[in-house]
Amino acid sequence: MAIIHDDPGRRRFLSQAVMGFGLLFGMGLLGLRFVQFLVPTGTTKRNVPVLLGVEQSLPLNDAITMELGNHKLLVLRTNEGVAAFSRRCTDLGCLVSWDKRREQFICPCHQGIYDKQGRNIAGPPPRPLDRYEVVNRAGQVYVNLAT
Amino acid sequence: MPSAHSDTDLVKVDQDRNSQRWIAYIQKDLPEHLDWWPYTLGAIPLTLLGFLIVTGLLLTFYYVPSPGKAYESVEFITEEVYLGWFVRGVHKFSVDLMILFLLFHVIRVFLTRAYRTPGEWKWVTGAIVLFVTFAMGFTGYSLIFDNVSYWGMTVVTNMLGALPIVGTPLLYLLRGGEEVSDNTLLRLYDLHTKLLPVLLVVLVGGHVLVVRLIGFADVAGSRQSHPFYPVHTLLMGAVAVGMLLLIVDLVMIFPPTLGPPADLQEVAADVSPPWYFSAPFMVISLLPGPVALWGLLGGALLFVVYPFIDRELARRGWPMGVINATVGTIAIGALVILMYLDTQM
Repeated sequence: MAIIHDDPGRRRFLSQAVMGFGLLFGMGLLGLRFVQFLVPTGTTKRNVPVLLGVEQSLPLNDAITMELGNHKLLVLRTNEGVAAFSRRCTDLGCLVSWDKRREQFICPCHQGIYDKQGRNIAGPPPRPLDRYEVVNRAGQVYVNLAT
Repeated sequence: MPSAHSDTDLVKVDQDRNSQRWIAYIQKDLPEHLDWWPYTLGAIPLTLLGFLIVTGLLLTFYYVPSPGKAYESVEFITEEVYLGWFVRGVHKFSVDLMILFLLFHVIRVFLTRAYRTPGEWKWVTGAIVLFVTFAMGFTGYSLIFDNVSYWGMTVVTNMLGALPIVGTPLLYLLRGGEEVSDNTLLRLYDLHTKLLPVLLVVLVGGHVLVVRLIGFADVAGSRQSHPFYPVHTLLMGAVAVGMLLLIVDLVMIFPPTLGPPADLQEVAADVSPPWYFSAPFMVISLLPGPVALWGLLGGALLFVVYPFIDRELARRGWPMGVINATVGTIAIGALVILMYLDTQM
């Protein structure tokens, strides 16, 4: 025989290595599929404008809370116009409420405070409140929700 | 005729040898210093884990892991089921005491530097046991589904979601969706009653096995004195009975209660978690989000690898005994101050 660099040990190593890698990939893929099973698929989002009402009918300098779809919002009308904020505190996801006397949004979980523009002014929140786009069409106020 | 019964004799000799080996195994001599109670604090959480498994199994027969029914079923257990309040009370106090004694055990090991070579793995396995126990505590109090539970779920899953790379998948995995939903409670229930208990029992088994294999650190003047069985076992039995008595008394004096049910629209006025989470709770309240998260994670990592840090520093001639005493005092002081602050808020 002219084959020089072939011996049973090398053969066994190579075949075991190939089988081992194959098994590893197979199991890995199966594991990945199982993780995908646990993580639910998201639905595609599209923007839907929702009518809130006539601007003048909203209370001035007072925020109203509402739940539209999965969104919890605070709608605040000031002299500058109508703004819609997400109630979800940007710190750790508790719900903020409007403190009428102090004119601030307060998160009771970890004492986060936002001003009436939704800017984080005290406490742990790292960024301002999320805002929804508000559209005013001839006095009718719509809020754009991603659903 | 010596060959006629030699086969059975050989088997008998073998059996004798085997039982001798077992007797020698369980009668292994323990060092004298284990007579002093701070060195036996690990057995108490182990005993309490037993109580927790028994009462936890009982509770699963009535608990319903669905947002509409969870709170009601806990109420049913507490008010209607025969001795339900007692079983729930034992479960609750066992976990409180288990965590308390785990902390005492950690403090003792830290101050006496019992994790020194070759005991590093005793520390590492023990540290993971501590973290899994905390995870059990969190998933457990989430199941009650009162207002503190619900907002606790929201806050903790959000914190994990803030981690880089693994955060978002982990958040989806735990919540079963983008928001805290019906799936979330079911997932925490599965974690609390299936995955984590198995993990905890395996880890605790591993920890005890590592301690058995590695043995105990040398303590000056401590000789090998009493056998594990029956002397030490009897002592552990006495401790277990004492713990049971203490818990029964505590449950009688402070029967378990329920907070107001989860309100998905309004955060509870006081969202303070159970006492064992009040220190991290205050950390996330006082520091800005990312700083608090990284601080807690860094602290946890430092905690796990501490024996290796100790070894490195000791090699460079640092006085680790003094350092540990200082670090321990500061850490315990900080915990107590944070807990006190939490009661004030």
